[in-house]
Amino acid sequence: MTAEELRETIARQFGRSLHIRTLDTGSCAVCEQEIRLLTAPHYDLHRLGFFFTPAPRHADLLLVTGPMIRAFEVAARKTYDAMPGPKVVVATGACALGGVYPPDPFTHGTVDAVLPVDVWIPGCPPSPLALLHGLGVAVGRLAEKVRDLPFTVDDHPERTRGDS
Amino acid sequence: MTLWFIRGIRRGVVTTRYPARPDASARFLPAPPAFRPRALTRVTAGRLVTACPSGALRLDDGTLVYDVGRCTACGRCAAEAPDAIQSSGEFELAATVRSGLIKRIPLRETP
Repeated sequence: MTAEELRETIARQFGRSLHIRTLDTGSCAVCEQEIRLLTAPHYDLHRLGFFFTPAPRHADLLLVTGPMIRAFEVAARKTYDAMPGPKVVVATGACALGGVYPPDPFTHGTVDAVLPVDVWIPGCPPSPLALLHGLGVAVGRLAEKVRDLPFTVDDHPERTRGDS
Repeated sequence: MTLWFIRGIRRGVVTTRYPARPDASARFLPAPPAFRPRALTRVTAGRLVTACPSGALRLDDGTLVYDVGRCTACGRCAAEAPDAIQSSGEFELAATVRSGLIKRIPLRETP
């Protein structure tokens, strides 16, 4: 099920409502802090029709953080299987994308190793705005931008900022 | 009276208009680096690869391969070579294809 099909199905069946289950597969909890901020007044996730649910059986979107430690693999698979289709998996943060932990006897290193990921959100941690953009991309409401960004700058004499 | 009431309520709203409109706080966020290829020699690139703690940079056949997904925007590359790197200012980085996050940065030809 692609994100495009999910968007059409959601628009048809649920209007603009989508329920999110977060899954912490060994993250340091800073990604969770940013996810929790989404419900704070400044970001107010609910105005866009996204809601958090504690039950995977009620969830349409699985928001996975952390490097997928091997001890959590069975629980992650069970969570994914318990979700009704159509479903989308969003890997969140540099850990989930393979940046922080290499694969070793304790971690898989990436979420892709266990679950079929549909949307990747980089960042350590991804800011609430980045998460909002990622959720918008996951349901097809916002356009994906990063594929066309070169991450190079022209050599115009502009001031150098070292605060990347 | 009604108009005054609605205006008064609206003035107290703190919620961002993102994604319909840009958010003013976005420029304060830590952003992944953008590279200046003219200032990036093979030696500098090698130093950046060594400095990167999350393995987001690697050298491959004369180009610098930058994996945005692995980058933690820690700024150690910018501290290593401030003239070759600046902040990209991008935060809308979500991708539906993993390879869309892997960028190839050309290096300067050294004579």
